[in-house]
Amino acid sequence: MFKFLSNFARSIVNEAVDKAIERIARDQYTENLFELVPVTQKVGLVNLMEIVMRSSQGQPPTRPLGSHIRFSPWDKLLFNPVHLYFFPTPENVSITTAVTIGPRARKPLTISIPIMIAGMSFGGALSKNAKIALAKAASKIGTATNSGEAGLMGEERDAAALFIGQYNRGGWLNTKEKYARLDAIEIQLGQGAQGSSPQRTSTKNIGPEYREVFGIPEGGDALIHSRLPGIDTKEQFMTLVRKLKDETEVPVGLKIAATHHLEHELQIAIEAGVDFITVDGAEGGTHAAAPSLEDDLGLPTLFAVSRASKFLAKKGIDQDVSLIATGGLVTPGEYLKAIALGANAVYIGTAAIMALVGDQMAKAAPFEPPTDLVVYNAKMTERLDIDRGATNVFNFLNAAVREMELICYSLGKTSVADVSRLDLCTLDPFLSRAIGVDLGFVSHEEQQEYFKDFSRLPVVYPPDMVDPAVYSSQLENPIH
Amino acid sequence: MADQMEDLKNTLTYIYSELNRIQTIAGTLSTIENRHYRDLLNMGDDRLNQMANEEQNAARQLGQVKQMCLTMAQKVDELQKNDGQTLQ
Repeated sequence: MFKFLSNFARSIVNEAVDKAIERIARDQYTENLFELVPVTQKVGLVNLMEIVMRSSQGQPPTRPLGSHIRFSPWDKLLFNPVHLYFFPTPENVSITTAVTIGPRARKPLTISIPIMIAGMSFGGALSKNAKIALAKAASKIGTATNSGEAGLMGEERDAAALFIGQYNRGGWLNTKEKYARLDAIEIQLGQGAQGSSPQRTSTKNIGPEYREVFGIPEGGDALIHSRLPGIDTKEQFMTLVRKLKDETEVPVGLKIAATHHLEHELQIAIEAGVDFITVDGAEGGTHAAAPSLEDDLGLPTLFAVSRASKFLAKKGIDQDVSLIATGGLVTPGEYLKAIALGANAVYIGTAAIMALVGDQMAKAAPFEPPTDLVVYNAKMTERLDIDRGATNVFNFLNAAVREMELICYSLGKTSVADVSRLDLCTLDPFLSRAIGVDLGFVSHEEQQEYFKDFSRLPVVYPPDMVDPAVYSSQLENPIH
Repeated sequence: MADQMEDLKNTLTYIYSELNRIQTIAGTLSTIENRHYRDLLNMGDDRLNQMANEEQNAARQLGQVKQMCLTMAQKVDELQKNDGQTLQ
């Protein structure tokens, strides 16, 4: 019976493919189904479908989980194992993974691993079950989770041993009785996926519990302003930081979307006396944002971390102000590379969500996306097994840190915090110059000599496309 | 007043020595947990693997306790040194 059905199906497919090829060969190109192939290649499949969504809805489509473009060239950085020059760390030595956020705060926040759960809000992004599962996982492994732009959800606070709350542009956590219950306060002025653009959740998408946690009156919208209400000058921001520090004594930090104005932004944050700085690169995810905000705005995480850490070191405060990197960090190798470039810890969002749904995604597949189990207002959030989800995230974090530890053994380090840009090399001359990491195809001693002569740099454009006179003039007068 | 100062000095010394003891204990326990992790992993059973993960995590959290004790001991030491003049 099965063989008969199989043969029958094969003959139908065969007939259909024959007819399709015949039509593609004969039809005029303008009337040809194959036209979709060059159009898709020209426009891109994602862009093509988003054009269709814009045309049918008349509003920006709200794309989940951030940009699909990988701006940060993490794959162009490689760690340098040691054998004799330095010796690898003996396997019976433990690798220190604990990190202290805001060491100069009166009540610093020490976490046992350098990975934290990123700010993903209840209601604005995730369901209550998902938030509790993430908090439980973080507590089990000894790290912190983050409220995101939300009010204070009691169940999440109780499940989280270490809880970082965002003093947010919606104003939902900005009262003393709420922020006094936090282990660290992150003033949220922007995020990688959306910059500092305003966001709105309409009444129809706000359930009773959301309304209660956020303190939104019946019939009201949830509005995230582009700037913090009441903070219209640098001085007001500085006053806010000092007030929060005095009132709570916990580390107070700033989270911004990484931008090319990075150093100017950091200067003000430092003057305000922040204990930590979170830079969210352009690859940062979100529950939903307009594609143009996700794809066309911000500075990639790799460059943001490198520049921020250099700036803090130059100011001589890299031991006092912690740097947290976030935005599109997916693999343990990327987490450790961010730390090597100067971050003290990293936040993960999308990777944590994928780990959370892990072996439960079969409940949603194949007709719904796995995020249907965790996103607020999705259909299947009640089907998420909280304890199983928490175990999945715990296992993921444990495995990720183990992989980072293994790299540390090979680098001859006894602490994750000791990994630095000296442990990296790159095969990309431009990256090497930009972030101060040695070029892998020249010995360490010859780096300066190599870069003295810029003509050795690979030519980006083919020679016949570049006027030699213009090229040499550019070399003599570089544009900055 | 002099008695109070002497008492404070003694208290700081006591806290400093106890913090150092706690960090040594945490370090020892962390090593034991790490050994358990390896032993359990060698059994090759799924449930024991999960326990091994938890042992590994316990070892890390003990490492965290060790670091916290070290930092606190350092702060107490700074207090003793900086305020030594005042306490005399």
